[in-house]
Amino acid sequence: MLRTAIARSTRCAEQAVTRGQRRQWQAQRIRQPHLYLAQRTLADIRTTDKTVLPGSESKTVAGVPQAPILDANKTADELFNTAPLKAPPTPAEVQATPPPPPSSSGTGNLTSANINPSSAQTAPPPTPSTNTGNLPPTGTGTAATGPTSAPPPPPPRRPRRRIRNFLLSLVTLAVLSYAGGVYYSLVSDNFHDFFTEYVPYGEDAVAYFEEREFKKRFPTKEYSQRIWPQTRGENKVTISKQSGLSAKVHEETPEGSDLGQKGRHVSAVDDNKPQPGKASAKPAPSPSSQPPPTPSAPAVPLVDHINVPQAAEPVVQDLVKMVNNIITAVNASPEASKFASTLESMKGDLNKIVSEVGTLKDSAAHDAETKIKSAHDEFDHAAKELLRRVESEMHEQEVKWREDYETEREKLSQSYQQRLEAELDAVKKVEQQKSKNALLQQEIDLQKQYMDTVKAKVEEERSGRLAKLDALSSSVQELEKLTGEWNEIVDATLKTQHLQVAVEAVRAKVLDSEHPSPFFNELIALKEVSRDDDVVNAAISSISPVAYQRGIPSISSLIDRFRRVATEVRKASLLPEDAGVASHIGSAVLSRFMFQKKSDRGLPEGDDVEATLARTEVLLEEGDLDAAAREMNALKGWAGVLSRDWVGECRRVLEVRQAVEIIATEARLQSLLVD
Amino acid sequence: MADSSISATPVPPLVPPPNRPGRPMSEALLNEKWDHCLSTLLIRSTLGAGFGVIFSVLLFRRRAWPVFTGLGFGAGRAWEECDSSFKRATAPSRDGLRVLRPS
Repeated sequence: MLRTAIARSTRCAEQAVTRGQRRQWQAQRIRQPHLYLAQRTLADIRTTDKTVLPGSESKTVAGVPQAPILDANKTADELFNTAPLKAPPTPAEVQATPPPPPSSSGTGNLTSANINPSSAQTAPPPTPSTNTGNLPPTGTGTAATGPTSAPPPPPPRRPRRRIRNFLLSLVTLAVLSYAGGVYYSLVSDNFHDFFTEYVPYGEDAVAYFEEREFKKRFPTKEYSQRIWPQTRGENKVTISKQSGLSAKVHEETPEGSDLGQKGRHVSAVDDNKPQPGKASAKPAPSPSSQPPPTPSAPAVPLVDHINVPQAAEPVVQDLVKMVNNIITAVNASPEASKFASTLESMKGDLNKIVSEVGTLKDSAAHDAETKIKSAHDEFDHAAKELLRRVESEMHEQEVKWREDYETEREKLSQSYQQRLEAELDAVKKVEQQKSKNALLQQEIDLQKQYMDTVKAKVEEERSGRLAKLDALSSSVQELEKLTGEWNEIVDATLKTQHLQVAVEAVRAKVLDSEHPSPFFNELIALKEVSRDDDVVNAAISSISPVAYQRGIPSISSLIDRFRRVATEVRKASLLPEDAGVASHIGSAVLSRFMFQKKSDRGLPEGDDVEATLARTEVLLEEGDLDAAAREMNALKGWAGVLSRDWVGECRRVLEVRQAVEIIATEARLQSLLVD
Repeated sequence: MADSSISATPVPPLVPPPNRPGRPMSEALLNEKWDHCLSTLLIRSTLGAGFGVIFSVLLFRRRAWPVFTGLGFGAGRAWEECDSSFKRATAPSRDGLRVLRPS
């Protein structure tokens, strides 16, 4: 046994070394890289004969107990020394000593330490192992997975890391709860209010997320594109800021409009061409006139603008003014003497021009006159033509109007004619209708008279014959009455016969039948036959419904039932008034020992039950149902109660018999009355 | 006998005969009461005895006398009931009756 266990454990150890151990090493390296060095150092000092409890290294095996966890800081010896195996502590000791360390140390540790204290010294804290699968427990072999287990973390680091972990988890928790709060406030309105009011920066955070959601829902780009869609794909036109109208100070342009200047403006009516010519002509003489002016030279006299022939002409005046201007200009210049001759010739030219102007004027006047004359002639001619045309038009108009007038007159006369004819026709028709009506009236009157005469004659005839008819009818009525009486007699006899038949049927059914049978139908027939007979109706109504619905028993069955009733009555014959159970028992027992009264030597006298029963039996055997019922009815107490049904039955039979007798008598009486 | 003959004969279709099985015939009245009394006696005394047994087991250390006492109680109750029923039967029931006093 032990050998097999050892063999198994060695095999297991080999497996662990080849496969599981290596894997475990890797896993540990991945998990805790910073402990690698410490492991190395520990692995160096490890011992191979470390004790591991069977199955303790495996978490996958079900049902295998977890190995007790040893505190790494305490060795087994310490445990052995410090922990238990003492006398039970006194209360004061209990209070003085601190509570035992949780779960890691205790009696379990002690036991494990007791089992193998030497090996427990080096036992590192167990680490999860992926080793060995579902292998059976290997017992306390030397094969250990000890080297794979992780060494304890250095003790000084622990509290720091704990604080860090605590802080980290706290921060994580806070962030998570804050995020959760933000999310939930987006979902729930109530929580939104709470969160934004009480949590710092909660409002900003929630607002940021809401804004994001809003932007996601309504993107701005789409908005602008929707309003101005680029349907044809052309480039967008950008309008610069400098475009459009801008304020500017007015600049005077020399060319173009001359409204700002004084004097004559450019006219749209006149020809504007000569102006540049004039402008160019004007400066032309000035250089020629400029050289002469010399202040000392004899001045050329100005042209007298009043003495000029045809001074009234404005053109001449202008001309003279112009020339005078030139002369004054020349006179003002220092070289006036040079131009004196030209000025003189100019003066002569002026005079010539003035005279030419006069001739031109004359010729123009002449032309105008001739033109006026021809225009007069033309006007005369046109006026004549106009007059002629107007006259002809008036004439045409007059002819047209006359024609219109004629046609209108004809139309009017025609319409009047038509109206007259219509009136005449209407009057004629009315007259004809009137005459017709009068004729009809006359005809009706005649017919009425004829009818009256006919009626009168018919009446006369009828009154004669009707008298005879009345007599006839009265005789017929008398005959009818007679036959009716006879019919009544016949009916009555028939009715009585029917009544008798029905009574016989009922009697046969009721009294002569062996078994009780219902005679409902027979009774209905009887009632139908004697519908208006009071006696019969009363007799029928005296029969109780139970009787005709069930039928009535025959005499023999009544006697039979009486025997049964008699035995019962006899049992209760000795009962006193208000009998209890005891007296009932006594009566039932004692009545068996009683002698029955015989009736073979005459009827027994007395009121006692036995005597009554004997009398009733005799009467029944004689057929006197009535007397028998009376006898039984006289019974008192329990005897009366027990015989109640039998008495009721007897009474019903008697009632039916009596009713049938009455009806039969009535039927006989009816038949007698008829005859 | 009368009942059997009724059932044998043809029943008229218009009104069926009022057959009341609840009400016994008057001569069988006393016998019926006896039957009822006996059954009551049996039931009550059995019940009493049962209670007696329970009490004797629970309280009286299995003595016999509680059983007989219970039996006696049950039988006595049945007797009393029977007695009253016999006494009531002779006089007609006065339930629902009213007396009109002369005004």
